[in-house]
Amino acid sequence: MAKRIVLRLDYCIGCQACEAACRSRFKGEARIRYGRVTETVFVPLACRHCEEPLCVAACPFDVIRRDEKTGFVYQSNFHCVGCRSCVLACPFGVLDTDLLRSISQKCSLCNDRAEGPRCVATCPTGALQFVEEEEVVEKKVGVGFAARLPHRRRP
Amino acid sequence: MSIKRTTCPFCRNGCESGVSFDGYQYRMEYLADSQVNKGRLCPRGNSANLVIDHPKRLGYPLLDGKEVTWERAIGLIKSWLGAVEPGELAIVYGRGRSGDEIRLVTGFAKALGTQNLVCGHIEPENSFFFRLDQTRDATLDEVRTARAMLLVGDVFSTSPVAAGPIIEARYADRKNRLVVIDSIRTRQAGFAHLFIQTRPGTEVFALMALAALLDNSLAGIDIDKFCGIAGVERKQLEAAAKMLAPGNVGFVGSAMHLGRVSYPRLHSLASQLVAVKAGKPFVGFGEARMPQGLMSFAQLRQAVSDGRIKMMFWLGGLYPYSYPELFPEMGKVQYRVATSIFRPELPLPGLVLPIPSELEKESTTHSYWSEVNRHPVAAPYSGTKSVPWILGRIAQADEIAEQTMIPVSVEEVVKMAGKMAEAGPVEQPEWLLVGEKKAIGIGGFYDAEERISISPTDARKLDVTEENRLVVESPCGKAELAVYITDAVMAGVLSIGVNAHKNRALFPIRTCHGTGETAVPPVGVKVEKSEMMARPAPETAENG
Repeated sequence: MAKRIVLRLDYCIGCQACEAACRSRFKGEARIRYGRVTETVFVPLACRHCEEPLCVAACPFDVIRRDEKTGFVYQSNFHCVGCRSCVLACPFGVLDTDLLRSISQKCSLCNDRAEGPRCVATCPTGALQFVEEEEVVEKKVGVGFAARLPHRRRP
Repeated sequence: MSIKRTTCPFCRNGCESGVSFDGYQYRMEYLADSQVNKGRLCPRGNSANLVIDHPKRLGYPLLDGKEVTWERAIGLIKSWLGAVEPGELAIVYGRGRSGDEIRLVTGFAKALGTQNLVCGHIEPENSFFFRLDQTRDATLDEVRTARAMLLVGDVFSTSPVAAGPIIEARYADRKNRLVVIDSIRTRQAGFAHLFIQTRPGTEVFALMALAALLDNSLAGIDIDKFCGIAGVERKQLEAAAKMLAPGNVGFVGSAMHLGRVSYPRLHSLASQLVAVKAGKPFVGFGEARMPQGLMSFAQLRQAVSDGRIKMMFWLGGLYPYSYPELFPEMGKVQYRVATSIFRPELPLPGLVLPIPSELEKESTTHSYWSEVNRHPVAAPYSGTKSVPWILGRIAQADEIAEQTMIPVSVEEVVKMAGKMAEAGPVEQPEWLLVGEKKAIGIGGFYDAEERISISPTDARKLDVTEENRLVVESPCGKAELAVYITDAVMAGVLSIGVNAHKNRALFPIRTCHGTGETAVPPVGVKVEKSEMMARPAPETAENG
């Protein structure tokens, strides 16, 4: 079953704990970012693990691959040459290169942690959820107050 | 690889967190079985592992910026103590000192025969130490099951993890109500059913008027006058009073930040008064709450500037002298001893002694919800010595029980508010600078502190866009910051983050005339457009 990071925008207080947890684990390199989408909407931006990932197609050395069974798009930092092709290809702008090591930072869904991604575990209000795709559709995760009344949300 | 459990030291929510060590680096672990936070941590809590082996940790005593041995440092302190009278000695304790250590420091001051024992934690949140007679503390279950909530100030930025149960309670039922009173429309205000925006620093008057609307028998409060001072409409407060009526279960929470509150003591007491009149329990959100000491910080400043203090112990937290920019008189103190976790950025005169961080020692502390024990998750950093060890080498002292709370009656609060209101409407300079405090970690995140928030109206008035920078000049400092245009601040108000020391330095420390307490209120500033652009101009073929 493919699990995904889903954001419930109604619950996000914009504290950046997700980014801090990611930085704390990956030596100061955040793989989830906190983006200003418009004047009034701020959201954590994580890798979507796309069905047809453009980063995989763009990578000239097959460093980024997709696990067909779980839908998990992963990367080996060891082989990355830092060409930035994936950064340019990503339609969501969630990939970036670290300035020090010059290699691209790709969310690994914290595959070294059995309980799931750290950003989800740390989210102070439970805005980030790590759920199965079917559950997202069934329970309408992320569809709530903010979707109904966007004008009520403020920065 | 074992996980060591502890309680997060960065605010008073008492979040349980774990730290593991794999022989190479410390990592944060999220304990899903914890009662208070269910494994959740805020950015500050997430950076706890960075403190343990931070490259800037101090591992040896410094004398005038140069490394010395512990024997020489202790010897020097003893000789300095011999050269001063007990009345010329001041002992200041600040963030990072646990309850046990403060009791020991109190005993230490008695052993040395000085009455100059001062609390150096001058953040306004420390005023929650003052309590109304009838105030009742809220339990976590009361917050989780609340149906009517009032938040004063930016609670979500003070304790982001405490925001979890508040938001869940807010969404639990369509009829549940959340009221927010603040001078800045923060992200928290976006969750409110009713947001009341006051003039910066005048929240107390809105709160006193709200208390009077909740209880008609509360005499001595002119509601319309107080609404006028706070810049809010009476009908807004009447709507809030209806939502918070004593019949609805809930709680009142209050948070105060540096540069945001003019009268910290009254702010704390007025929030509690609303809680009492609404028949609700109260939570004072903040990073620390410490006993007031035997002398106030304002008195210490006066004594230092008069040259009456010859020697000072500053037993503080992360850095020596928590407010160095705000304390220019310090040059008059001949002998200075400070404790620190991190290496000071500039060589400081006097001694700076390295101490273990809060994560490296056993202590007991009070969270909002209960008493908690903090266990060490790592061995003390090499070369550091604990505060009890240092004090024990200087003088034999016993622990002396601290004062738990300072009780205040309702009559005194009403009288205090009347006195403040008598001074008339708070002065409105052309530009008022207020402070915003975010829960940000140690490993970066200072980007937001590099910019100044300004309303769209003012941006047009000054003819600036987000490409420009503004020069802000306050009575005690000057800074140049990038413009950030937002409707979160009122016209005529500018706001900056106050985690960064250089931003804090713009706010002068003042002494309140009514209560004699130390406050860091919003400050009137001069503003002008800078010649410099916020970002470098895009590269062109010419400049390459």
